[in-house]
Amino acid sequence: MIVAKRKPLGEIAEMLASYKKVTVIGCRSCVAICLAGGEKEVKMLVSALKIRNRKEGKRQDFEGLVVERQCEKEWVKEVEDKILGSDITLSMACSLGAQTIGDMYPKHLTFPGLNTGIFGVPEEQGVWSEKCVGCGDCIIHTTGGICPISRCAKSMLNGPCGGSADRKCEVNLEVECAWAAIYDRLKLQNRLDLIERITPAKDWSTSHSGGRRVFVREDAKLTQHQKKGKEVVL
Amino acid sequence: MKAMVQVVLCRCCIEVSKLLDMERLQKVASESNNVVSTVAVDAVCDGRNLAPVMAEAKLKEVDRAVVLACHKKDISPAVVKAYRRAGVNEYLVEFVNIREEVVLPHMGDHESAQKKAETKLRAAISRAVLLSPLEKLTEQMATRNVVIIGAGVAGQAAASEAARTGAHTILLEKTGRSLKAPGVILPHSQVVGAKGYGGNFTLRIRAGEKSEDLGAAAVVVATGGGWTSLRGPLAKAVKDAMPLYRFYEVLLSGSPPNGPVVIVDTPDPVGKTVRVQDYAWDETLETVIELKKKHPDTLVTVVFQEMRAFGLSELAYKEAADIGVRFVRYDRNGSPKVDPKQPNTLTVKDLSLGEVLSIRFGTLVFASIPPNEDNKLLADALRISMTADGGTRRGSIQRWPVTTPKPGVFVCGSALFPKSKAEAKVEGQAAGAMAGAFVMRGVVEYGGVVAEVTQDKCSACLTCVRTCPYEAPFIGTASKAEIRIQACQGCGMCVGICPSKAIELRNYTDEQIMTETRTLLGGDF
Repeated sequence: MIVAKRKPLGEIAEMLASYKKVTVIGCRSCVAICLAGGEKEVKMLVSALKIRNRKEGKRQDFEGLVVERQCEKEWVKEVEDKILGSDITLSMACSLGAQTIGDMYPKHLTFPGLNTGIFGVPEEQGVWSEKCVGCGDCIIHTTGGICPISRCAKSMLNGPCGGSADRKCEVNLEVECAWAAIYDRLKLQNRLDLIERITPAKDWSTSHSGGRRVFVREDAKLTQHQKKGKEVVL
Repeated sequence: MKAMVQVVLCRCCIEVSKLLDMERLQKVASESNNVVSTVAVDAVCDGRNLAPVMAEAKLKEVDRAVVLACHKKDISPAVVKAYRRAGVNEYLVEFVNIREEVVLPHMGDHESAQKKAETKLRAAISRAVLLSPLEKLTEQMATRNVVIIGAGVAGQAAASEAARTGAHTILLEKTGRSLKAPGVILPHSQVVGAKGYGGNFTLRIRAGEKSEDLGAAAVVVATGGGWTSLRGPLAKAVKDAMPLYRFYEVLLSGSPPNGPVVIVDTPDPVGKTVRVQDYAWDETLETVIELKKKHPDTLVTVVFQEMRAFGLSELAYKEAADIGVRFVRYDRNGSPKVDPKQPNTLTVKDLSLGEVLSIRFGTLVFASIPPNEDNKLLADALRISMTADGGTRRGSIQRWPVTTPKPGVFVCGSALFPKSKAEAKVEGQAAGAMAGAFVMRGVVEYGGVVAEVTQDKCSACLTCVRTCPYEAPFIGTASKAEIRIQACQGCGMCVGICPSKAIELRNYTDEQIMTETRTLLGGDF
């Protein structure tokens, strides 16, 4: 899932300082599950901002609400009046949610309340670790199911490098060397021959380069005719 | 429909203290539109005093109540019973602990006590108005098995008592020693896992290589202390060293101790920060004073790292020092040692002198002994909590000395903390009788204040499932969280952590808590 972290209260308060009426909108998908922007976090942030204002003798109106998935226009549309009825919207979704609202209502201000971080896996309650960077060309079938692009500090395709010692990475001694993990996994699977095979330079054109990437599923796209039949115009 | 609140003021707590003004409290109660009756009673804990209150409750068609008295635990049985008879749901009775929260902390300060009492009364009324009636449900128990873990003194006593109630007893023993006890005895067996809740447990039993499941309606933890095999270097070096309780038995028998006596805090002190149970020091001081009085010529030395002698024990410490008991303090760098080649001499670095002392002894006694390590495994399996000392936590030392906070799980003997055979036997009998009575009821009660999921809001994120210590939440067939009400203890942890605010604790909803808090803060928040 997409894992995000709430911005510090001071930073959020500063962002919103000059606006009277603020709508805080959370999202019930990834960011709720990673305990960053669900209904509870929205309500807690609104309470914290109110307490802060009270201490500083300021007055602002806050309203907190959540939508099912903020990255989808249909869900955002449901709270349109709340968005447009305020001076500013603080999105407590990932940046996708914030940008969806921003694209739908370009004149209206939508600020991010979260720092969107990683594609992460919950290792245990309260701990998420990055295991994918969305490079667009998955190779983990050759690396024992472990992604060297996200988990190796140097994103090496033919590791480990000379900085790997005692299973730790030279960049950060807290971090496990991805290639040590790959070696162990391949050994377990009896496929150690793969580690000797040289993987040629990766085709990075599928990764983040040259502007934003758009994925298209032609067969799922609606035809002009089908689109015309829709009543709701977003 | 308007809530009809009755306010009950206990004279015992309010007037006897001469700190609070009863009339002013009555006036505050009458300010609320919802309060239809205000009564003062001599002592609400006495059921006989409640008859006129209930008569008034019926007359005024009261449907909920606020009781200002002492601790809920002390008064709720009598009060709840009376209200139930008067047709008021037990979950609509709100208690305010005036004695412990107002009278005791504000002794001699009339103004702040009165103000606090009034605020708490207002808050309780605001909360009572919002409460919902809750019901308890019942479920048939699947078996009448009482499983007793540990067949020592306490365990065997528990088995006898439980069998007398008509329950089926199953006694588990880790060792293979021969036993005499009613019911089934399973030697060489241990509990390695547990599922379920009071009335319907499924215990995973390991006997040698084999593992199997055993149904149990109640469990008695009688695992004993750890001293059957004293561990630690001092115990190893001195073969006839003994724990304090056994030394006390020697002392009671009247025979003089063998040579000078040294009491060390623990058999395993080397290089460690030693933390022993507080009561060990009370008992040590009591013992050395008695020893000195009976045998004044005996040389007695107490060697300790950190002594905590609270309250009157402090006087006992002084008395012991006055009558010639030597106290030697050490720290982790100068731990006491006994060279096995010289098993009659203890060396320790005295922290005050900064010198290493050699103390000759005839008898070596340990003030405390390490707790049974099985307790921790068992506590994890049964999901019961433990004390910081490594014993099993019980309900309340005065009221429920052999129960745990978990219904259907009882505890006795040295699983709580080290104690003598006689005490262990009495506790075992009590735990066995209670477990038997619990099982013979045949039904388990559950429900009341439990968590509830609003499934529309649930994202099935598993956070509640991971957090709950009782395994109450699970993701059901609708791919949404559900609560196994029988397992829910109403602790509220899932409510607090749910990122979607999909879970609420009955009668502790946000609205109820916020309203109460707002009133406590004077309504201005």
